[in-house]
Amino acid sequence: MKILVLVSFVIVLGLFLFATQVPVDITPDKVLAAVSEAVSKSEVPVDEEVVEQVVLSSIAVLEKGQSTRLKYLASAYLVIWLVFMLYVLRLGQQQQALDKRLAQLEQTPEAEEN
Amino acid sequence: MKIIAVIAAPLIFISLYLIFGYARIEGTMLEVQKIFYYHVSAALTVFVAFGVNCVFSIKYLIQRKPNDDLLAAAAAEIGLIFCTIALLSGPIWARYAWNTWWNWEARLTSTLVLWLMYIGYFILRSALEDDKRGRYSAVLGIIAYLDVPIVYYAVDIWQGGLHPDRGTKWSLETTMQQTWMVALLALIFLFTCLLIVRYQMKKAQARYEIIQQKYLEEASG
Repeated sequence: MKILVLVSFVIVLGLFLFATQVPVDITPDKVLAAVSEAVSKSEVPVDEEVVEQVVLSSIAVLEKGQSTRLKYLASAYLVIWLVFMLYVLRLGQQQQALDKRLAQLEQTPEAEEN
Repeated sequence: MKIIAVIAAPLIFISLYLIFGYARIEGTMLEVQKIFYYHVSAALTVFVAFGVNCVFSIKYLIQRKPNDDLLAAAAAEIGLIFCTIALLSGPIWARYAWNTWWNWEARLTSTLVLWLMYIGYFILRSALEDDKRGRYSAVLGIIAYLDVPIVYYAVDIWQGGLHPDRGTKWSLETTMQQTWMVALLALIFLFTCLLIVRYQMKKAQARYEIIQQKYLEEASG
């Protein structure tokens, strides 16, 4: 039981660390490629620099909010894990108490016989 | 039992891998949308759990077999755990999506009512003894189950709520839909596994109480 709790905790903690440290995977090369593709496909004349500025400011907003979003995500899964583990631990305790009472019940007639 | 546990455990790990490493990030909610996979799956598992409770409550009222009552109670207990998960993970998502932890909209309120009714179910069980406990809790279990379709159709009945339409989850992008299916399957297997464990424990406990009562009667007589 303790091993199960420990292993699952390590997994959830690993997911939490993984989730809160993943950077937004948008490199300057990708931005430039996307901007030039957008400009070439545009049917009206657009200023490439303006498009790049808009894209970069949008990415900045996304990056800024990412750690907050990941915290919400990790918190939700942490809560789910916690509820399951508390229930499993409670079941384990109940099973132990039941085993103990059954053992006592088995011992009682033997004690009387002796 | 072992077969179900052997299937459930890897399914949970696979579902977690799919959620964090495979499913596409949704465009509006971004990473926070990934709460959906276990939140919605837990909510649907609640319907299954309380459905099992309702079926075995009816069976108990007809046949009066004590084991049916024990199975109904075990299903209700695990359903309550899944309902708690849905009710706790929902507000975390809501805080980001709706900028509030809680809103008294139809689906949230009816789910809370469902949770409270099954809390009442266990209060009733602990307050009564033997046959009365079985009968009364079976009736309450059947009545409480009437709230399940209300929860499910709440977004249609009371339009204008914050939850999306029922059809939204079926129109997901392919990787998201596959991930959700695996998560749902994982939780249903987990529910089955816990149900068997809890039912066997309840049966052992009931048997213990019978033996103890017999022993006490013999000792006093």
